[in-house]
Amino acid sequence: MPELSYREAVRDALSTAMREDEDVFVMGEDIAEMGGSMGVTHGMLEEFGKERVRNTPISEMALAGAAIGAAMQGMRPVAEIMYEDFMTLAAEQVVNQAAKLRYMSGGQLTVPVVFRTQGGAGWSPGAQHAQQLEAWFVHIPGLKVVFASTPEDVRGLLWSSIYDDNPVVFFEHRTLYGIKGEVPEKIEPIPIGKARVHREGEDVTVIATGRLVHESLTAAEEAEKEGISVEVVDPRTLQPLDEEALVGSVKKTNRAVVAHEAVTRMGFGAEVASVLQYQAFDWLDAPIERVGAKFSPLPFAPVMEQFVVPHAEDVLAAIKRTVGRNGN
Amino acid sequence: MATEVKLPRLGQGMESGTIVKWLKAEGDPVEKGEALYELDTDKVTQEVEAEASGVLLRIAVQEGEVEVGRTIGFIGEQGEAVVESPDGDSAGAAAARAKVEAPTEPSPREPEPTTAAAPSTNGRIKASPLARRIARERGIDLASLTGTGPDGRIVAEDVERVQAQPTPASDSLLLARAPSREVESRPLTSIRKTIARRLTQAWTVPAFQLTVDVDMTRANELVAGQRELNPDVRITVTDVLTKVCAQALMRHRDMNVQYADDALLAFPSAEVGIAVAAPQGLVVPVVHGAERLTIAQIAQVRGDLVGRARDAKLRSDDLEGGTFTISNLGMYEVDQFVAVLNPPQASILAVGATRERVVPRNGDLLVLPMMTMTLTCDHRAVDGATGAEFLKTVKAFLEDPGLAL
Amino acid sequence: MAKVEEKKDALRKDELKDVLREMLLIRRFEEKVEERFRAGELPGFLHVAIGQEACAVGVCRALEDGDIIASTHRAHAHTLAKGTHANELMAELYGKTEGCSHGYGGSMHLYDIARGNMGANAVIGGGLPHITGAALAFQMRGEPRVAVAFFGDGATNIGTFHEALNLAQLWQVPAVFVLEDNKWAESTPESQHSPIRDLSERAKAFGMKALKADGQDVEAVYKAARKALDHARSGKGPVFLHLDTVRFSGHYIGDPQVYRPKDEARELRSKRDPIEILRERLEVGDDELAELDAEVTEIVEASVEFAKAGTDPAPDDALKNIYA
Repeated sequence: MPELSYREAVRDALSTAMREDEDVFVMGEDIAEMGGSMGVTHGMLEEFGKERVRNTPISEMALAGAAIGAAMQGMRPVAEIMYEDFMTLAAEQVVNQAAKLRYMSGGQLTVPVVFRTQGGAGWSPGAQHAQQLEAWFVHIPGLKVVFASTPEDVRGLLWSSIYDDNPVVFFEHRTLYGIKGEVPEKIEPIPIGKARVHREGEDVTVIATGRLVHESLTAAEEAEKEGISVEVVDPRTLQPLDEEALVGSVKKTNRAVVAHEAVTRMGFGAEVASVLQYQAFDWLDAPIERVGAKFSPLPFAPVMEQFVVPHAEDVLAAIKRTVGRNGN
Repeated sequence: MATEVKLPRLGQGMESGTIVKWLKAEGDPVEKGEALYELDTDKVTQEVEAEASGVLLRIAVQEGEVEVGRTIGFIGEQGEAVVESPDGDSAGAAAARAKVEAPTEPSPREPEPTTAAAPSTNGRIKASPLARRIARERGIDLASLTGTGPDGRIVAEDVERVQAQPTPASDSLLLARAPSREVESRPLTSIRKTIARRLTQAWTVPAFQLTVDVDMTRANELVAGQRELNPDVRITVTDVLTKVCAQALMRHRDMNVQYADDALLAFPSAEVGIAVAAPQGLVVPVVHGAERLTIAQIAQVRGDLVGRARDAKLRSDDLEGGTFTISNLGMYEVDQFVAVLNPPQASILAVGATRERVVPRNGDLLVLPMMTMTLTCDHRAVDGATGAEFLKTVKAFLEDPGLAL
Repeated sequence: MAKVEEKKDALRKDELKDVLREMLLIRRFEEKVEERFRAGELPGFLHVAIGQEACAVGVCRALEDGDIIASTHRAHAHTLAKGTHANELMAELYGKTEGCSHGYGGSMHLYDIARGNMGANAVIGGGLPHITGAALAFQMRGEPRVAVAFFGDGATNIGTFHEALNLAQLWQVPAVFVLEDNKWAESTPESQHSPIRDLSERAKAFGMKALKADGQDVEAVYKAARKALDHARSGKGPVFLHLDTVRFSGHYIGDPQVYRPKDEARELRSKRDPIEILRERLEVGDDELAELDAEVTEIVEASVEFAKAGTDPAPDDALKNIYA
């Protein structure tokens, strides 16, 4: 099987869709000549031209809103919001408009737009360039929210998101762009709303997203050495959530850890924990653990950033607490 | 016809306003659009315009708070008569009120069964939900366990380590009661009242009892064999008893009857009830058509019914239509007892514990697993001979299950 | 609504009676809405466009088939002028399934996609970027269609206004941005919300072509709209159409307008009523007007009956239409 980096996988999904479908086009800040601040659209201007690979001014509301307007007319635009933090600027259009247009029109409209963005800590980007805000968007009825963590997943899911008739907020993680992974020869669409089991286990289920999928797999290896068998599951789609898979796994292992890079408090993990508690109550042998960032904005100094953000050892500690015994 | 001046709704959510003062007097001419009175709402005091031209014939409400839609005055031609209704309520206001839909009331919650862990003298028992479930299923008292989980929490492993109790023939919850010094007055639950009423009624029925001892060797073998054949289902002696009684009822149709006021009702099928001690009280869920089910199927149905009885989730068709009841107190080590009839059923079988006894047979002394069962019958519907023949068949089926085929 | 094969750059004499009738229909509709609201029959809050009829009718009559509009929270006039029947509009205000948005939207979320009405928007300026995007789609697909946005003077201050017009001009998309300048943003007069007096300057700041017209003169509105649409349609870029108009009523039904000098509204009604202006020009006598009035009033009353007899959605219809 061929190997692609996460970045290349995103580009491959976009390019393949644009080759096959005149209605697909991309717009965003600095995506044309520069190829995007994360290099995702590198080379696409040359292939597709400036009509379909559009630089926009720094105006997230118009960027998001124009994408919505074009989608309302039947095109399938993919708008790139440079940093997840700037989703706050686009939010009026994403939340008040895209999410609700179909509903308010009584079903007359579809808005097949994708908002691609990336976030995450690492290498001191500072508090306004590193947030993980998925919890805000999974809370809005009308939006779908996807967060893939591997090249294969990001390619297959971006494809499905482009062809989903609903507005999709598509999160990427900045530290994952360089990771390489095997992908099928041809793009295989991955259904929205289906989780993926990365590693099977018997003692505890770790449900993780984004960068924390990889941290959890590392933690699982460590735990194995101590005789703890860990199952790692990536929901991949945050809304709609594959409750069946997640609950099914916890019913098998009787213990759960939910891990994400976003701030723990009031985060996406809190909802997952609640779903598990409710549906697997009689199967739980330990309280559900949550791993996430501490409740603070992201600091600049590397030692502080390291402290705030979760890593494999935090997942491992949580795993151990679920199987813990007296005194541990 | 004079036009009614009604208090208008001037804003979303406005329900009433306060008339401060009228700017026209009765008898004054009024033009549509002219300011008519001053109104105080939540937000502001404002002038309200007349919606019609003519003469202000009557001011019905001089001042004060008025609901939206209420008639406060009349404009018309000079000399016109004015008809005032007693409470100037208008259809509009009523409609506006009716528009607000009352949220549907949540249905009253079923009473929850008490959990197995009772308040111990030290406070609440810490146990994981999984541990609690396993303890409940196995009839293990959590208070008797020490937890090895964090903070002494009882975890599943701690419960699993306890030797499982001998499988009770009909599952029940152990209700540990905290010792207390005062006399407690516990109000009657509706289940308790029902039990009291129905069984008092049953007690007035002329009944007789027949007792017989049964050699359970073959029956026990049958249970073991069935368990091997059906590893996914927990098969018990009660399931075998249910099947056997069902078969026997079909052979002795005169037993599958009920006394009604002016007739005997004969039933085509064996609807066998099984007495269950649920936390809320005695309930008798019914295995419908038991003669048509295999032992494994009966075990499945029974397991489901007992589970739901424990969770107080039995439906009315689980409890209705029974023609015969089996009450098994064997797991409580009762040797023999007499069960009270379960009205309107005509008979009930009381099953005791199976124990090894020394039994003379053909001159030899054998040690056999013996069980004593007592059949209570409603003499209005069933005669002694009918009951005796039925009981003989049941015994025969238990001692030689092949006869039931 | 007139539908001619080739639109002229000015309204024809025989069309003008029809235009008068249309404006009168909107006027009576809005008055009826006010009446029904005060009677407590209409949920939510509503904003009527009494006094601004010529803007809606003049612009919408100038559109070609395939052109689309996006409206504001003050949407009834635009919606009727774009072709939605009074029945469907009234039914929507009553929250019935027969309403144009099937009861899901109400006064501020009126959609009639099949008729090219991309919807009213309750967020000031919320629909402006959609018009830029729609015009972009027309441009990319090579379609001879124009996207038209209506908005008020209050909206010229918000971020989406600046971003949407900036982007539209940058990409030279076929859009027309119609400013219905009634000089009031809710209770704030223009002098208090804008540091400049002539809002067309805002368009010029983007380098966008700006046209002006008297919003109370439907013929003038039509002519200016035709010019604007032609310009946009021929690929010359978007146009800012500044219409000088008057809001006779308050911002919302029930608004006591404590902030507005009492005589202002009255004087404006007498001097700048678009219906009166056209009527005088056409020399329509009292009898003829009464006849037209009776016709449109009948339509309006019928729409109330239609709405009242309509079907309430089932409560759990609320969970439908969230996702495609």
